[in-house]
Amino acid sequence: MENPGGSSLPAFLELQRTRVLCKADAPTHTEGFQYSGAFAAMGVDTSVSVEKFCSNFKIEINRLTEEDMEFDMIGVDASIANAFRRILISEVPTMAIEKVFMVDNTSVIADEVLSHRLGLIPLDADPRLFEYISDDVPNERNTIVYKLHVSCEKGSQRLTVKSGQLEWLPEGSQLTMASPAQSGDNQRTYTSFGQSQQNTSERPLGVKYKDITIARLGPGQAIELEAHAVKGVGKVHAKWSPVATAWYRMLPEVVLLKEIKDGDAEELVKKCPVNVFDIEDLGNGKKRAVVAKPRACTLCRECVRPTDDQVELRRVRDHFIFTIESTGALPPEVLFTEAVKILEEKCERVISELS
Amino acid sequence: MDPQQPEPVSYLCGDCGAENTLKTGDVIQCRECGYRILYKKRTRRIVQYEAR
Amino acid sequence: MPPATSAPDAPVAEGDAEAPPVPTYRSLAAPVSNPVDKFALLPAFLKVRGLVKEHIDSFNYFITKGIKNIVRANNRIEARSDPGIYLEYKNIYIGEPSVQVDFRVETITPHFCRLTDRTYSAPVIVDVEYTVGKTHTQHRKPSFTIGYMPIMLRSYACVLNGKDEAELARYGECPLDPGGYFIVKGAEKVILIQEQLSKNRIIIDTDNKGRVIASVTSSTHEVKSKTVICMEKEKIYLQLNQFTKAIPIIVVMKAMGIETDQEVVQMVGRDPRYADLLYLSIQECATERIYTQQQALQYMDDKVTYAGAGNIKDGRSKLILRDVFIAHVPVNNGNFQPKCIYTAVMLRRMLDAILNSDTFDDKDYVGNKRLELSGQLVSLLFEDLFKTMNTYAVDRMNKNSDMARSSPLDFSQLIMQQDVITSGLERAISTGNWDIKRFKMHRKGVSQVLSRLSYMASLGYMTRITPQFEKTRKTSGPRALQPSQWGMLCPCDTPEGEACGLTKNLALMTHVTTDQEEGPLRNLCFSLGVEDLSLLSGEEIHAPGSFLVMFNGLILGKHRQPQKFANNMRTFRRSGKIGEFVSVFVNEKQHCIHIASDGGRVCRPLIIADKGRARVKEHHMKELRDGIRSFDDFLRDGLIEYLDVNEENNALIALYEHVDQDGVQRSSITHIEIEPMTLLGVVAGLIPYPHHNQSPRNTYQCAMGKQAMGNIAYNQLFRADSLLYLLVYAQRPLLTTKTIELVGYDKLGAGQNATVAVMSYSGYDIEDAIVMNKSSLDRGFGRCIAMKKYTVTSEKYGDGISDRIAKPQRNKDGVLIKQNMRV
Repeated sequence: MENPGGSSLPAFLELQRTRVLCKADAPTHTEGFQYSGAFAAMGVDTSVSVEKFCSNFKIEINRLTEEDMEFDMIGVDASIANAFRRILISEVPTMAIEKVFMVDNTSVIADEVLSHRLGLIPLDADPRLFEYISDDVPNERNTIVYKLHVSCEKGSQRLTVKSGQLEWLPEGSQLTMASPAQSGDNQRTYTSFGQSQQNTSERPLGVKYKDITIARLGPGQAIELEAHAVKGVGKVHAKWSPVATAWYRMLPEVVLLKEIKDGDAEELVKKCPVNVFDIEDLGNGKKRAVVAKPRACTLCRECVRPTDDQVELRRVRDHFIFTIESTGALPPEVLFTEAVKILEEKCERVISELS
Repeated sequence: MDPQQPEPVSYLCGDCGAENTLKTGDVIQCRECGYRILYKKRTRRIVQYEAR
Repeated sequence: MPPATSAPDAPVAEGDAEAPPVPTYRSLAAPVSNPVDKFALLPAFLKVRGLVKEHIDSFNYFITKGIKNIVRANNRIEARSDPGIYLEYKNIYIGEPSVQVDFRVETITPHFCRLTDRTYSAPVIVDVEYTVGKTHTQHRKPSFTIGYMPIMLRSYACVLNGKDEAELARYGECPLDPGGYFIVKGAEKVILIQEQLSKNRIIIDTDNKGRVIASVTSSTHEVKSKTVICMEKEKIYLQLNQFTKAIPIIVVMKAMGIETDQEVVQMVGRDPRYADLLYLSIQECATERIYTQQQALQYMDDKVTYAGAGNIKDGRSKLILRDVFIAHVPVNNGNFQPKCIYTAVMLRRMLDAILNSDTFDDKDYVGNKRLELSGQLVSLLFEDLFKTMNTYAVDRMNKNSDMARSSPLDFSQLIMQQDVITSGLERAISTGNWDIKRFKMHRKGVSQVLSRLSYMASLGYMTRITPQFEKTRKTSGPRALQPSQWGMLCPCDTPEGEACGLTKNLALMTHVTTDQEEGPLRNLCFSLGVEDLSLLSGEEIHAPGSFLVMFNGLILGKHRQPQKFANNMRTFRRSGKIGEFVSVFVNEKQHCIHIASDGGRVCRPLIIADKGRARVKEHHMKELRDGIRSFDDFLRDGLIEYLDVNEENNALIALYEHVDQDGVQRSSITHIEIEPMTLLGVVAGLIPYPHHNQSPRNTYQCAMGKQAMGNIAYNQLFRADSLLYLLVYAQRPLLTTKTIELVGYDKLGAGQNATVAVMSYSGYDIEDAIVMNKSSLDRGFGRCIAMKKYTVTSEKYGDGISDRIAKPQRNKDGVLIKQNMRV
């Protein structure tokens, strides 16, 4: 690692500053140096400035699919990386079913359990198109309505109810409130939609996966209900979490302290369960161990057992391999930018509070 | 208080599943099979749940 | 088949049986012949027997045999004034479970009874013969119901007996439910297994004053008594409730017709040491100037507590000696000889104990215990009620004839009039109070409500054994783990605190015996060379080299070749000629052979081994796997036999087939365990790797495993328990034990598999606290359902006013009007 400060630290201090060492028994130098003037006496400035950050910070995307992504986030402190992780899990909003209006449920599943299961179904709806629901009546800007009406005929086979059988009602609720209709009055329903949701997004606001089992019905059993989805965040309930999970790990660095040859090399290669090491043929039947895939290292520490004088395992302190698994409402890369926006908002709020 | 009409309530037989409507004073027994355990049929009254 | 262990140069073991082959390097290095995987026997055993077979077996015995014996013993009642008016029971049997509704009989199912708070009971039907009218014309009436008896689920009388899974489902019953309990007024009641000291056996012990005593609790159908012979100040006395003072034992012997002291000493044994110990007792008798039977009886008459109705003491003591003193030893035609010999044997055992303290009996030894099961307890109750019903009938008949009515009633009308049997049985089982004055029995808490907290809790209830007394005793003896519990009672499963070690649980393969007919066995013993007691003189009884033969606590006679006799008996048992639960135990120390066929002994199946080689071979197991062979076939073919705790002392049981090791020669092994894990009970069997735990941890887990929430039965949503806790997403444990699969715990999971990280978290983790992940809970981890039952009775108040069922009232906005509603 280049040191932007100009004058550099001695190698052993630089190692302690930028790496976590993983010894056979325990990791060392886990704390790091927070204080900007820790090395001021040696003429090294480790303070954080925008310029330094801009020149150091890097993101490299390793894998990106519709469902998940892996990228390297280089040049940030663990606290920042962790902030992103936590925001992704609990503060990026999504839409999820929150209220269930049960008309009939004669299945073996209890009403409460059925409602809970419905809540956990990922919906294919962009939360940015919706508002949070407040105390006012549900309308087309804050609520998506679904209907589930399935029954199993008497004498037929057992039936599995899948998430695909949830039917989107763009015009709002079809259920009328229990009050007896006054003559001429419009029947009041559970929502008051001003207009249809048909054109709110390109795709219909259905469920993301159509094959999630909701319940099983025996002959003669039926389920009839209406479910209202609203916008929310994961810290209120995990059903609003946009990620199955999001996590990071520090970049592993595997260093051979000395040349490992022949039998020792083969032994080392065999030791590693994830094949970090490989053998390089030197000709004349001579072999040498090399570090082939350091990123695969899971830090099982088999290679530093029983002695850690051949191999050293390190982790790079400011290099994070970040993984995001989306539940489907938004693609993973969008989730991350949303998370950045939320962190930005938070910072602005702090600044405005302080000024 | 208004004079309450005895409303008939629907019950399902515990044995054959047949629907029975019972009024006040009726013998509690299925009309189809004579089984003596009846279950109240679920009404279509809407119950609201939180999906949590 | 040549054993694989023997190398060519080693002698083949089968040839020379007496001397085991000398192990050579090659024979030791040779691979051990593949041990036969005998585990499959366990599921086969449980398939035939079920998990609570002891309960069901004992109840089956009662309704098929026991009840008939009771009625046969009391089969005739007649009017006092005129013996010509009588009623005779010809037969008795149990009908199909049913209820009478408006004089119509409706068959019922257990689940119907649970839901409607009824008793699952079946009619007790008798065939009677009786006389009617003055002419005493004989009438016969078949199928006459004298009452209803609660029926144990899955017993022969139960509709569920022998039904397959689909049929059980149709009855609304869970196929995993083991049965073995009763349903009384809608509540499931278990009659707990009661543990007590053996009846009719001599127990040598010390009392709280440190005196050596020999006691016998006699129990026959007619009488129950306790006889104690004790030694005080080096003199021996008989203690009996019927006498105010202790009677010198020599006086008792004289009263029974052994007038010469020489004869007494001969009967006890000729060893001069016995005579020395008896000397003072003999002297005391002489100083009292008692020399003849007449004098002895007179002496005893003065000490009688209660002189009987006529206040005539004369001759009372002879009656007491005949009827109360060691009551189970019969006196036929005034022949007291068996009783004399029995007393002498008691004395001899007692003197042995004084000379050598090793020969004391251990009250905590499982072989000295008997387990009383539901069948026996219900049988006692029924006997009492049946007799009560008959006495009532006789009383009423007497009253009627005393008033000299013109047309005397007939008995058939009288025995029907009270529902003595129906209400008596129902009351006892539903309250758990067994108050039987006739048998001086007052027990509380005999039956308990079956716990349905979880499937394991109900299973655990069925295997529980409660102690009879000594709950408050602080002594550790009865609470300690007994070596003789091995394989019979679970070493782990016992509660903590007050009842620790006293309340026990059966192990997985334990069987509790039911009574077996004595007559044929007795005859067999005589044909196998037992010399009849009545033909023996006192001198001959204890002749060196001969063994006394005891049969269910009675002295049958003696045998000169005890080992041969025992082997013959066992051969008969293995070939199925006598019951498989008959036990043959040679007691070398006491020079006795004990044959036992009484009920309540614990026993377990073991594989028979010939000189260490298991009789069960791979081809047998293959037949079992192919379904050609059942567990009973193993028994019938003499590959497996049941041993009770006493007979285990004559066996050397190996855990696995093995070669000579640990100083044990293979050839001396007589039996091999079917599966060592069966020494644990049902609940302890759930613990994975119990042998890696500190022992009390296993005990704690046994108490906690029952508290786990989960699914309790397949029919759980159709049950109406007052409180029911269910887990929504119950899981099968990732790590299952063999027991888990056997008891069906994997089909009715309780609990969920969780990932646990162990780390400190600033004190929130103290002791066994845990910090939970909120999103796991949000996603349904540990989600449960609690269901509670509320009951309302629809009442009728008269004047045509009655409760009625109606919909809840609402106003026009659909809001409930709560003023006329109650919770």
